[in-house]
Order: sequence, then C-alpha cells, then structure tokens
Amino acid sequence: MRRVLLLGSPNSGKSSLFNRLTGLSQRVANYPGITVDVASGPMVSLPDTELVDFPGTYSLEPISGEEAIAVSFLNEALADDNVSHVLCVADATRLEKCLHFILQVIRECQLHQKPVTILANMSDVIRDNQLHFDPIGLSEALGVQVISVSARESQGFESLVECLGVDAALNLHADRNWRETPNEILRGTAQQLAEKFSPKGDVLINSQLRLDRFFLSTALGGLAFFAIMFLFFQSIFTWSAPIMDAVESVVSGLGQAVVPLIPNKVIADFVADALFGGVGAFLVFVPQIFVLTLVIGIMEDSGYLARAALICHRPLRVFGLTGKSFIPLLSGVACAIPAIYAARSVDSPRQRMMTYLAIPLMPCSARLPVYALLIATFIPSDTALFGLIGWQGMALFAIYFFGMLVALLVTGFVSKASKNKQPEQPFVLELPPYRLPTAKPLLRNAWNRCQQFVTQAGKIILAVTMVVWVLGYFPNGGADLGQSWLGTLGHFVEPVFAPLGLDWRYGIAILTSFLAREVFVGTLGTIFGIEGSEENMLPLVDHIQASGLPLGSGIALLVFFAVALQCVSTVVILAREGSSRLALTMLVSYLVGAYLLSLLVFQIVSVLL
Amino acid sequence: MNNASAVKALWDLRPGEAATVTGFGDTLPVSYQGRVMEFGFQPGARVRCLLNPGFGAPRVYGISNSVFSLDREIAAAVHVAINNSVEGLA
Ligand SMILES: Nc1nc2c(ncn2[C@@H]2O[C@H](COP(=O)(O)OP(=O)(O)OP(=O)(O)O)[C@@H](O)[C@H]2O)c(=O)[nH]1
Ligand SMILES: [Mg+2]
Repeated sequence: MRRVLLLGSPNSGKSSLFNRLTGLSQRVANYPGITVDVASGPMVSLPDTELVDFPGTYSLEPISGEEAIAVSFLNEALADDNVSHVLCVADATRLEKCLHFILQVIRECQLHQKPVTILANMSDVIRDNQLHFDPIGLSEALGVQVISVSARESQGFESLVECLGVDAALNLHADRNWRETPNEILRGTAQQLAEKFSPKGDVLINSQLRLDRFFLSTALGGLAFFAIMFLFFQSIFTWSAPIMDAVESVVSGLGQAVVPLIPNKVIADFVADALFGGVGAFLVFVPQIFVLTLVIGIMEDSGYLARAALICHRPLRVFGLTGKSFIPLLSGVACAIPAIYAARSVDSPRQRMMTYLAIPLMPCSARLPVYALLIATFIPSDTALFGLIGWQGMALFAIYFFGMLVALLVTGFVSKASKNKQPEQPFVLELPPYRLPTAKPLLRNAWNRCQQFVTQAGKIILAVTMVVWVLGYFPNGGADLGQSWLGTLGHFVEPVFAPLGLDWRYGIAILTSFLAREVFVGTLGTIFGIEGSEENMLPLVDHIQASGLPLGSGIALLVFFAVALQCVSTVVILAREGSSRLALTMLVSYLVGAYLLSLLVFQIVSVLL
Repeated sequence: MNNASAVKALWDLRPGEAATVTGFGDTLPVSYQGRVMEFGFQPGARVRCLLNPGFGAPRVYGISNSVFSLDREIAAAVHVAINNSVEGLA
C-alpha cells in the first residue's frame, strides 16, 4: 500500500484533514500538541493510499517527547519505499510559525527523493476575514506545489487528490534546491518568506486579544478560571442527572420485564443479580462520562485550555509542575491513560515525571461511579438556582478538589525532597486563536469514549460480577449470602477493612476494584442483588442506605478511592512511558497512603459524630 | 520619525509596546533559542507585548498573527530595541 505522510506545525489542522480524508475520528482540539502518536488509515477517495497523521512539531530539532516521536517516525518513513508523498500542513493565517518547518521538510524530502506538497489550511478563515494569501507566489518561492485547503469546509480536496494521483517523478521536479542549505540559512529564509507571504494585518490578533484581555486579566481572569472549573464539575453531576435517571429506569424496567420470563430460577437469579444488578449499576454512570468528555472537549476546542495552562503555570511551578502539566492533569479527570500519553508534551523530563506522579491522583471518570454512588447515598439531591447547582455537585467538587490537592502535595513534597540538578526548563506555549467549538467531532469523541468505556470496563465488570455472583450464590442457592463461598472469603479479609467500619461485602468490592475502579459498583450491585428480595429490584443506592453504612465509612471509602492506584492499565502504561520502578513505587505508596488516610478519616469522623 | 532606540529585554516591554528583536542573551538554552527563532522571534522581527497577566505569570507576545506566551526565563533573554514612536494598540 502506498503511504502518504501528513506533517506540520502543531495545531495547523493535520488531524482535522486526516479525519476528513479518511473518514476516521482522530482526536482534534484547539491546543498545540493534541496528537502525541502517529495514526494511519486508508483515504476515502484513494482506497489504496494510506494516510499517516503525525504529531505536530515546530521543527526537526525536537524539544518535547511527542516532537521526538514525530521526528524519529519521519526519519524512518523517509527511508521507506512505500512512502510515496509527503504533505506538509501549514496554518495559512499564521505562516510565520510554520515556514521554518516547511523548509526543513522540503529539504529532507529532496534529500530522500520524496515528492512534497504544502497544504495551506484554514482557507475559510482567510476568506472570512478578507486576508490576502498568495499560494502561487509562495509556491514559486518554495519550488513546490502549494494547495489552499480548508479542513473545516472540505475545500481544495480535489486538487489534493489530483496531486497525489500524479506520477511521483513529475512532482519531484523541483525548481529550487534546498538540499545543501543549513538550518541557520533556512531560518533567515523562513523569516523573509514570512514577511512576504504571511497574511498582513492584525485582524485575527485583535479579536483574540479582546477575549484574552478578559480571560488573562489579573483579577477577572482568575475569577473566570474558578467559575469555569466550578461549572465544569457541576456539569458532570447536576446536568447529567436527567440522562442518568433515564438510563436507570430503562435498565430496571428491562430487568422487571425480562426476569419473570426466565423459567429456570438459577438463570433468572443470575440475570437479575449479576446482569441487571451488577452491570446495570455501572451503565447508569455512562452518561456522566459522556458529559465529562464533552465539556473537556468544548474547553479544549474553544482555545481556553491554553490560557488555563498559562494562568496555572506559576502556581503549578510551586509544586514542581509546569503550566504544560495542566492539560495532562485535566485529561486525567477523564482517564489517566490518555493523560499519561498527553504528558509527552511536557518538555522537561523532571516535570514530566512530576506530572506522572500527579496523574493517577486526578479524579478520573472510573472513580466517578464510585463517588456518585457514595455521594447519592449520603447527600440529598436538592438543587438551587433552577437546577444549575446542587449539593451533590458540591460534594463531588469537594472530593475532586481533595484528589487534586493530594496530587499537588505529593508532587510538591517529592520535588522539594529530591535535589534538582538541572535548571528549570523555560515555558513557551503558542496561544491558539479562540474558536467556536464544532459540535460533530466533539460529540463523536464523547461517544467514542463512552463506547470504549463500556466495552473495556464492561468486559471486566461482566467477568467479575459473574465470578462474584457464582461465589455468592452457591452453595446455598442465594439463600444466605453470609454462608456462601463469597461470604467465607469475605470474612477472611474483613479484619483489614473493619478498622474503616466496613463489613466484608465492601471488602470484597474493594478487592475486585483493583482490576478497575468501576468494578466496585458492579460487585456491590451483584452482592446486594443476591441479598435483596426478588420482587423489588431497588437501585443500589437504596440498598446501601438500607445496609446502614456509617457516614465515616462512606467518607473513608471516598478518600481511599481518591488516593489508591487501582487500575491495572494505568500501572502498565506508567511502566511503559515512565519506568517500571516508577509504576511499582507509585502502586505501593499510593495504596499504603490511601489506607492510612482513610483510616485516619474514619477515626476522626467517628470521634466527632 | 524618532529613531532613538534603547536596547532592553523583551520581558521589560509593557503591554501595548512594540519593539524589534536584536538578539539573545546567553542564559537561554540553545534548543530554546532555536525554538523561539522558529516561532518568528528572529533578529529584525517586530514583536508586540500584548498582555501581562501579572503575578509573574508568563506574558503574551504577538508576532504578526501568531500569539505566544513566554515566561521570564525566556523573555528576559530575548533582546529588543524600542523605537520611541510606540505603536499603541487599538
Ligand atoms: N476554521 C478552521 N479551523 C480549522 C481548520 N482545520 C482545523 N481547524 C481547527 O484547528 C484546531 C486544530 O486542529 P487539529 O486537527 O487538532 O490540528 P493538529 O495539526 O492535528 O494539531 P496537533 O495534533 O496538536 O499538532 C481545531 O480546533 C480545529 O477545529 C480549518 O480548515 N478551518
Ligand atoms: Mg493532531
């Protein structure tokens, strides 16, 4: 298969073009450094051609992890005979930051005898703002073809496909030879070309500046930051409540309709307890994950996240992190795995290590079902301000805040305790323009995330709930859970959890949650499903309330889940991206820390109440 | 036009002030000097200080239509010459 490479500066629209041309859904967002690995797929209009999306890089001399990946992949790809063409994407409205890279790429392609074409993206912005851009002049100056395209409006794609179809040898005919030109000369040339061909005027900068004056002003900007973060957490809980209720009633309605139809009692019990009780209890939380991913996506795509990184840079530095850690940390609120990959964009190795330390403490969406369950158990669902703000949302904010606080304390402590030999790396970040988020990719991304969540976590949950159900149902047919195999096992581990005021049922649920945190909910659902009477399938919350779980234990559970590293995948990825030693140290110390902290919390709450 | 120019650091520019890049201090790691040059902070280029969020936060600079935020470590090592005819912002 022929391969075509898609290179370019960060945030120039490579992944957007890739998605348009392949029909796939690579992650796209308005922040430089979103793509951190290469992705590939066949082109819709040329099925025998595979397009390869690269992480953005400002030059072929990388300073961060994802750039190094792009550069080393590029070197491999240029030596690959299957690579038939290189497409270099530039943001036509901001040519000045792309030209140096373009020249470097042209030089490398000429050295390796690969045809190269420049795609000047964002032609819609050029048109809408009546900017002047001269692709023909630029093409003459560079000696390679320049095509104006817009990924947003799918414009210019015919010329693009046509140029890919042309015989490679024709494309190789270069009017200008950059082969021998050293980097310093390329830089100078880039500047001259930028002066000549960059769209003139400051229309774009001025409209961006008006918003920045607000979002980056000393007082209002800080307030806006907290308001946005607050709304963010409210949205997860309060705004997704109606969808969750809907899912909940669908699940229980289905259960009530299906279970009586099953003639065999054991199978009926299994379907009711393990499937509807266990897996169903977890499905209820999927809407929250959808809302969470969507809201993070909106923040990223609007361009605000880069501003947030800037605002947070100084405060984060106190804790050994950098403003660039902000995006990985915020992604960690969705899931630690993409967050660990996103940390590649943190250029300093030391600060990247600190970011790794903090990520698993970020309140990820796998914790959300657990938090939501416990919060719903103890906190009334009253709302204020027309349902915009609720007590449960506030409680969630508090526990999320707790996780982040622990993360900062850990990195702060470790960075103070470990001597720093190298000087701090400086902070440079491109601030992308503010853009109205586009609904379709955002919704698609949130949908994909939910699908992933359901299929990946769902498989584990299904397996675990099945095992838990079998152990809990036999040998006495669900008559007495305490005397079942599970009960015997539970009483064996109970002493570990008794100091937290938790009985063996919670102990078992915690043990299973080391596979993945959300399994906790499924396991509890199954256990209470076996225990509960058959006629009324109560929501899990009601079961827990009825079981008389003390408040202190509830809070201790929240604290335990906030700190412990109960996720096999995170440990594996940490070992791969960081080191096995790091992963192991974090696993053990976060576990011990979680246990001790929750013990402390339980004792304090018990004394107070 | 008054061309009396004073050399100072990019970090010393106030929001709204524009200047021309003249060179780099030697406190800047070479890789980062390369990076800011690729961004367009090249000797001879016009830069504008757009914003200073305060509290020592990185400041915001514009070159043509691109906007970058640089922290003190970098901006203090970029030398600029100010023309007295300051171009105010709209
Ligand atoms: N108006 C407009 N916006 C675009 C166009 N192409 C991309 N964008 C927006 O530009 C931003 C960056 O797009 P991406 O496709 O993520 O850019 P990228 O080059 O893959 O970025 P990195 O992976 O971070 O290097 C997103 O907000 C897109 O919606 C376009 O043709 N017109
Ligand atoms: Mg991308």
